[in-house]
Amino acid sequence: MKKKRLIASLLAISVAIGLLTACGSGGSTSTTAEVTTAAEAGAADDTSAAQRTPETTDAGTPLADVRVRQALTMAIDIEAIVEGLFEGKAEVAKSFTAPGEWLNPQLADYSYNPERARELLKEANWPSDYTLDVVYYYDDQQTVDLMTVIGQYWQEVGVKAQFRKLEGDLAAQLWVPPADRLNGPSQVKWDLAYAAVAALAESEFYNRFASTASNNSTVPKQEGLDELITASNSTMDTAAQINAFFEIQKFVGENQLAIPLYHQVCFIYTSDKLDTAGSKFGNDQFSYEKNILDWKIDRTDKTLYTNGGPQEFFWYPMVNPGYMINTELVFDKLINADAELIPTDGMLAESYTVAADDKSIEFMLRDGLKWHDEQPLTPEDVKFTIELMLKAPGTNAVASEVMSAIAGATDFKEGKTDSLAGVIIDGNKITVNFDQVSANALAVFSQWPILPKHLLEHAVPETLQQDQFWQKPIGSGPFKVDEVILNNYATLKRWDGYYQEGTGNIETVHMFASGENDSNLVMNASAGNIDYAWSKSTDDAKAIETIEGMNSTPANIKYTRCFYVNQFPHEPNIK
Amino acid sequence: MSSYIIRKFLMLIPMLLVISFLIYLGMELMPGDAVDFLIPPDALATMNQEQLHAMREALGLNDPFFLRYLKWLWGMLHGDFGYSMQSGVPVLTLMKNHLPATIELTVTALVMSSVFGIILGVVCALKKGTVADQILSMIGMIGVAVPQFLLGLICINGFSLHLNILPVGGRMAYAGQTFLERLPYLVMPAVVLGFSLTAGVMRYGRSSMLDSMGKDYMKTARSKGIPEWRVNFLHGLRTAMTPVVVLIGFRLPMLIGGAVVVEEIFQWPGIGGLFVAAVRSQNTPLVMIIGFFSVLLVLLASIIVDIITALLDPRIKLS
Repeated sequence: MKKKRLIASLLAISVAIGLLTACGSGGSTSTTAEVTTAAEAGAADDTSAAQRTPETTDAGTPLADVRVRQALTMAIDIEAIVEGLFEGKAEVAKSFTAPGEWLNPQLADYSYNPERARELLKEANWPSDYTLDVVYYYDDQQTVDLMTVIGQYWQEVGVKAQFRKLEGDLAAQLWVPPADRLNGPSQVKWDLAYAAVAALAESEFYNRFASTASNNSTVPKQEGLDELITASNSTMDTAAQINAFFEIQKFVGENQLAIPLYHQVCFIYTSDKLDTAGSKFGNDQFSYEKNILDWKIDRTDKTLYTNGGPQEFFWYPMVNPGYMINTELVFDKLINADAELIPTDGMLAESYTVAADDKSIEFMLRDGLKWHDEQPLTPEDVKFTIELMLKAPGTNAVASEVMSAIAGATDFKEGKTDSLAGVIIDGNKITVNFDQVSANALAVFSQWPILPKHLLEHAVPETLQQDQFWQKPIGSGPFKVDEVILNNYATLKRWDGYYQEGTGNIETVHMFASGENDSNLVMNASAGNIDYAWSKSTDDAKAIETIEGMNSTPANIKYTRCFYVNQFPHEPNIK
Repeated sequence: MSSYIIRKFLMLIPMLLVISFLIYLGMELMPGDAVDFLIPPDALATMNQEQLHAMREALGLNDPFFLRYLKWLWGMLHGDFGYSMQSGVPVLTLMKNHLPATIELTVTALVMSSVFGIILGVVCALKKGTVADQILSMIGMIGVAVPQFLLGLICINGFSLHLNILPVGGRMAYAGQTFLERLPYLVMPAVVLGFSLTAGVMRYGRSSMLDSMGKDYMKTARSKGIPEWRVNFLHGLRTAMTPVVVLIGFRLPMLIGGAVVVEEIFQWPGIGGLFVAAVRSQNTPLVMIIGFFSVLLVLLASIIVDIITALLDPRIKLS
């Protein structure tokens, strides 16, 4: 019997450990995701390491030389990558800003030119034994493929690189700025980081290059750039903003402070059963008017099938206000936005006025607004939401920038006052006063929903997502949460208390549970169980395009993939 | 025998302590913590360290490792199993919501595989060498060899996407679900899981039955003039069942965490998916409770197996 007991104990322990490791290795916790291109695997031999050790003491980094950054860019045939790897379902990036009226047409050209890249590297005395340490944090195969291809392009101009996937505390590993913003040394341990910026406003692309940005871990203080960035943030006039960003793009481009690679698009999938009443599709990473109340569905149960149902909770909207369709349908904003995310007419606010000096906005709430639980929706809820956004961690950068510009925000955040002085309520009128002009204020009020004070006032801001409100939220939008079976499905019902009626027939929205990436999307679409969904995955798009009865529409989103280049002095990470 | 069982149960306590510590340690050794998974990576770029620190503080993640473990243990001893780091829901509620789905699936598969496995195994043994034996053995090999995900995808493709007679996955019927309404959702996952489990039981049953059929007591029984079916079933099968019961007994822990792959493929909202998500998102309280119960079941299964083997085989004495 002794033997059996021993076996039983061993089995129990191995099951416990096995369960842990088995799950770990399948997921994002894998620690062996290092990619090394075949050719360079043997290149990092002992002699080169021995030679380089002495030069590391003089600190600095070859990446501080703009010619090196230009060469690294020109070595990559991004057009071929977009055509080959992404099958044309992405757009080559000349700048962080996507083509359109916001893109300066006269930017430095770094198109594929390996000869020029080699010359530039030679001029810059590129140390041929240096191996770039390139990090990324996505766990999809496409990223690995992309890194491999780029590694080969660099190899062709004589630059060695090793790629590794970061695990764990990404913020600490990627975005900690040095204490000395001019001379460093760097607080992060890598040469290049592959990342993406999902922007609501142009400023999100460029604010991080300022010497004051809390996440600028790569770019030393640049002469004149801080001023350009400040100027771009302090006007609400579109023409002036565009001009300001033209200047910034030119500066960032000439100095190639980072390497923009490509703009990703999103794909919106609809079934033939759905008639979207001519609504224009747009950037589905955020909220915009889809007129869903006018949509018609050709199903007897009058149900629209989609994904994005809650797995463990409904997402709190501070980080991503429009990512999940349920946030958009359950919660209303003060103002509406069109498919280009340009603020349009009022939503909860019947009307709004921006003061002549751009330093204050007046919102006039509609009469008789209610929450789904029939409680009245008042200006107090608006004020409460703004205060909550100031206190909750994770509030999106643009939103938190706008909220922080409101008069009295600093005192409120630091706990000196328990009411935000800049928000004044007078009957149905809410006036928001700003200390300085906040360029994106309207955009933010068109994206971030108003939350119910009576249900959330006792929530702890730091753990807002863990509040039980998010198990079955109460909003004020056109649909209310009905049945919730977490990690399985949830349904939304058309709400008869909404201020608009619409001409459509959708009574129920049935959402299959899924996270940011829905691995079951293609299967459910094949089975005819998806009427509306969106994703950024080109693989999904390719598969869904072949399904009969399904359509895929690409839409531009401000989502730029890039390399951040660590220009602060640091020791080579790979020796 | 009762003193043996009591001793075994007392042994559980130190073992559970050690194993729970090992699981906690395993979670600790993984890079990152729950906060890294609460904020999507692209959004992390815009958060500063103070904000992250505040979130960690609120979730109690800034305490040293041993203190956190002791706090967890203290809570456990007082019946407080903790809250999910992701959703703030008590982990017991999460277990309560997800366990029925998994148990429905695994019990169906276990019963199905045990019954069919034993019957087919015995048939193979009795018909040893015939065509039937060879065909069944071959199917058994296939059952062992074909991975569940492959079989699952083949079934979905055939029965759902082409024949359109079963749903692709999930576990649903509108409000007021009854078992019958849910049945179509259960068929494919249960059969796929059951198929791969049947093969093992069948092969064990066959060889163990063959083994006992050659034993002297069988000859004795036959020579006493007992009818052939009684010889086979009462004398042969009973002893032949011992290793089979051990096999099935050790599958009991599967009730909690054993259907991860099948649950993933069929979008089955069970514990398996919950556990994988919890490990990936470093949701320690949730991992601990699922891990804890899985281990408890393994240990209990070993005791149960001991008892049943003793009951089945008169030669075994528990002491």
